[in-house]
Parts: sequence; C-alpha cells; structure tokens
Amino acid sequence: MIAVLALLAGVVLGVYLDPTVPAALQPYLPIAVVAALDAVFGGVRAKLDRIFDDKQFVVSFISNVLVAGLIVYLGDQLGVGGQLSTGVVVVLGVRIFGNVAAIRRHLFRA
Amino acid sequence: MTGSTGGPTGGQRPARTYTPDFLTELFRNPLDPGYAAAAARRQQAGGPTGWQRGAVRAVTVVTLLVLGFLFAVAYRQTVAEEPGRSRARAGLVEQIKQREGETSELARRADALRGEVARQRDAALTGSAAARLRDLEAATGLVRVRGDGVVVRVADAPSKADAVTGQGGTNLGRVLDSDLQKIANGLWSAGAEAIAINGQRLTATSTIRAAGGAILVDYRPVTGPYEVSAIGPDELEDRFNDSLAARLMRNVADEHGLSFAVRGADDLTLPAASGPQLRYARPVVTPTISAPGSSAPGSSAPAASPTGTPDVTRPSGGNR
Repeated sequence: MIAVLALLAGVVLGVYLDPTVPAALQPYLPIAVVAALDAVFGGVRAKLDRIFDDKQFVVSFISNVLVAGLIVYLGDQLGVGGQLSTGVVVVLGVRIFGNVAAIRRHLFRA
Repeated sequence: MTGSTGGPTGGQRPARTYTPDFLTELFRNPLDPGYAAAAARRQQAGGPTGWQRGAVRAVTVVTLLVLGFLFAVAYRQTVAEEPGRSRARAGLVEQIKQREGETSELARRADALRGEVARQRDAALTGSAAARLRDLEAATGLVRVRGDGVVVRVADAPSKADAVTGQGGTNLGRVLDSDLQKIANGLWSAGAEAIAINGQRLTATSTIRAAGGAILVDYRPVTGPYEVSAIGPDELEDRFNDSLAARLMRNVADEHGLSFAVRGADDLTLPAASGPQLRYARPVVTPTISAPGSSAPGSSAPAASPTGTPDVTRPSGGNR
C-alpha cells in the first residue's frame, strides 16, 4: 500500500515540478524507464511470490537503470547507435512479459 | 555461460553447477534470482529486525518515489518533444519558403536591372551593333525570347509508396535528372534555339543535376510536373518525336507509368537566364560591341562578327 502511494507521490511530484531533462541525458530516459518498469514488475511478482526483499528491489532498480544507461552510452560510442538499446529493450521486455504473466497467474489463477 | 556441458574436470574438485545459458534462463524464470536467494537467506538467518528493517523500508519507498518521478518525467518529456519536432520542421519549411521568395524577388530585380542595362546600352549603341548584341543575347539565353515551338511535359508516376510510412519500395516511374538532360539534348539536336525547364532558361553553362531526390536546374530546384519548353523551327515537334530521347522516354513511360507528352505550342515566351558569371574565361577577341566608344556606326562591329563570337557559343545541351 505504502509502495503504491509512494509511486503515485513520485508521479505527482514529477508532474508538479516538471523538471527539464538536460539534453545530454535525454537519450537515456526511455531506456531508463524500461529498466525501471522491469524492476517494478519484478518487485510486484516477488511480492506475490512472498519473497520480496527491499534490498534486492532497490539494488535491482539502480543497477538496471545504470546498466541500461551504460549500454546505450556504449552503443553511441561504438557507433552501433540504437542496436544495443534494442538488445536491452528485448531482454527487459522478455523479463517484463514473464513477470507480468506470473503476476497474472497469481491474481487470476489463469 | 556458453560451455554449459562441463562437469568435474579433475575429480577432486566439486562438480560445478552450470546454469543454462542466459536466454533460456531468461525465458524460463524472468524473476531476478536475487529475490529467491534473499528469501532463502532470510529463512536461514531471519530477516532484518528493528531499525534496520525500517531503514530498508524507507529506502524502498524513496526508490519508488524516484520511480514514479522518472515515469512522470519521461512521459512529460516524450509529450513535450513531439510538438518540438514538428515545430522545427515547420520552421525549416517556413525558412525554405522565405528564401525561395527572396530568391525569386532578387531574380525579378536582376531581370529588371538587366532590362535597364539593355535599354541603356541600346541607347548608347548604334542600331546595328545593338541588334547584333540582342541576337547574341537571345542565342545565349540572356534575354527573354518569344516564338513558336514545343512543350514537353513529363511527370512522375503516381507513387506507390505508403503515404504514412513513406515505405513501399523505390518508385521506378520517377523523372530523373538524366531524363531532363536527354529531353533537353534531344530538343537541341532537333533544332531548338531556346529551351527552358519549368521557366528556367538553359544557357551554355546550365546544369541539370540531381541532389538527393530533387532535380536542380542551374542550382535551383524544379519540381514535377516538368515542362520543357523549346522554341525552334516548325518541324521541331516531329523531329523531336523521332529523336532517340523521345523514343526512350516513351518506352520508360510505357513501362513505369510516368507521363510524357509532346505538344506544339504557339507564341511561347521563354524567360531570360540569370547571366552566367564568367570569372575565369575571358574573350579572346576584344568584343567591339561592348565598348560603345570604339564602335563607329556600322564599321568595325559587323567586320568582327566571324571571329568575335566564339566566346558566346550556342548552348549545346544541358551539360553534364
């Protein structure tokens, strides 16, 4: 419950403050969102599996975002452009799908 | 990760357990294995207690706050970026339009000034010299000319590409710069004396070339449908129709669906070309006509005509 409230508070804060993202960070934003989504769905699933762990959640979120950002940066530097980010999106997308499927099984038993 | 078939190598070392390769594991169990490990640890040693537990909770809450913040910011960013993109595009289109307007305004002014210069010169020159100069200018494309001739109209085939995505393969029915070059050359060889493409008069230094998807005539873009107007003898239309260029274009038109039409036209007016700026080439023979003081009435100017003209040769075609 607190978690959902905190998430909502974050959204409200983001909408209310409306910060401008520095241009240098803009390419990393979408991939960071995907990484964050992965962490969120992982956490929800772990919660439903009754194995949620705060430390694991925090660490996985931070490392996900950082690694995703790093891969995008690396892709830019290597000149492969968006391809490496595509890899990140695919991997994280598969994980999100799998976790959402598990959540669905928990919630609807189907 | 890749060599996942290994077993105990030496015998004394404990058998290593290899996880299946990354993707298989990813599909089979998308949950971070850390959660299971943490749960196992908790069961063994008991979870964190007291303030530790509270602190960890707080960190989680802060993380979630950051998460929500991130989502909101990313959303706002994406929404905000879209009009920016179209705004930039609209701005560029606006700039192009404005510059085109300026260019044609300047071209109009140049025309007016050129007319003024011609008038002044005619006033200063004597009759025959002025007439000769006018003829030369007409031949080189530096003044407007009138006469009967033909209009060759070519247009791109309707694009099969998807209007939204812009995909759908290359349209083979597009008019190429080489098509216009061939038509211009065909018209010259059929006896045309003046040619203009979409109102751009061709001169001895004219270029017809492609830059990206656009066709440039004398470095100014022309867009389809293209109208190549030519002034020439009465049989220009027939001769051009028999020419290789026209036959080739008809074939292309039949095969790829672009439109190609030749029609005779009476009383065409072709505009003047913007005068070619010769910076390096100099006339070999001093043109007597350009020095008003030196040309006595009808004396030296006609005499110079056989030799005085090689610097202003007739255009021989859209050059390459």
